[in-house]
Amino acid sequence: MPTEISTPDSSSAGELVRVDREKESAAERTKRFERDALQYMNQLYAAALRYTRNPDDAQDLVQDTYAKAYTSFHQFEPGTNLKAWLYRVLTTTFINTYRKEQRRPQTSDSELEDWQIAESASHTSDQGKSTEDVVLENLPDSDIKRALAEIPEEFRMAVYLADVEGFSYKEIAEIVGVPSGTVMSRLHRGRKQLREKLTDYARELGYVKGDSA
Amino acid sequence: MSSCENCRESLVLFIDNEIEDSATFNSIAFHLQECEGCRAELETERRALNLMRTLLTRSCCETAPSTLQERIAHQLHELQMQELAGFTQTEIITQYRRTEITIDGETQIEIETSHEIRRDFPLL
Repeated sequence: MPTEISTPDSSSAGELVRVDREKESAAERTKRFERDALQYMNQLYAAALRYTRNPDDAQDLVQDTYAKAYTSFHQFEPGTNLKAWLYRVLTTTFINTYRKEQRRPQTSDSELEDWQIAESASHTSDQGKSTEDVVLENLPDSDIKRALAEIPEEFRMAVYLADVEGFSYKEIAEIVGVPSGTVMSRLHRGRKQLREKLTDYARELGYVKGDSA
Repeated sequence: MSSCENCRESLVLFIDNEIEDSATFNSIAFHLQECEGCRAELETERRALNLMRTLLTRSCCETAPSTLQERIAHQLHELQMQELAGFTQTEIITQYRRTEITIDGETQIEIETSHEIRRDFPLL
């Protein structure tokens, strides 16, 4: 029953149960998987929507992710970050399967050196005035999603993982499989591009007058 | 490089709480206490990031459709069955022995029977 599996077992979810994976039966492991891993389904689905940018692929991706996570769940170290582990499975599955099919041109990370990254990092908010903030706050959700969908895939992943899911640079590096410096570069450039797009939308809608200098 | 330059280059890392080196962190924190300009820049930057996070979190919060929940539940069941099948498929063999005694009680025959039970689970 789907309504049952989407909810973690409240009687044991909060407890820190020591798991002996050597002695655990397949049925016990399945139960632990259902209790601990399925609660992230909505979050993984929202992330999959950002990755694939369409609901059908997003559903397939989440289903594949749970299949892979289930069959390798014995490798997951209990007590470590399960959410980050699941995101890693999701991201790896996406990169290995869906991205190949989508055949999108990939952006390069090599354009910026570390010292340039820091420079770009300090300018997320070129026109960070409070009037503009109010304007951006009034943008509809569909515009926010569209802006995110339009920035390059690597940037989009980094921004989503950091600013929606709250992962650290190091965690994102492990999830995506790139060095921390690359994560920093992608994140900062992604945030900058996202803000530029949102400001453009606001201008198109007439919320912001003229070209800000 | 001036300390203002140093500070501004690291502002986003500072806000993201990603400065691991404590000496660097302390020098930036110290500079921010002293420098009003950098403090203003920090606030602008922080506000911009918080706004971005608020907008993204507000917009990207879809719920998995019930069809997906059903598909996953079904798939987990299938995978579990496969796993169980892997353990038991060719192993179950039962042996038993019975004794027949004739009606007059004079003859006793022992019969030993081997019987193999094979359980077949669907393998995808």
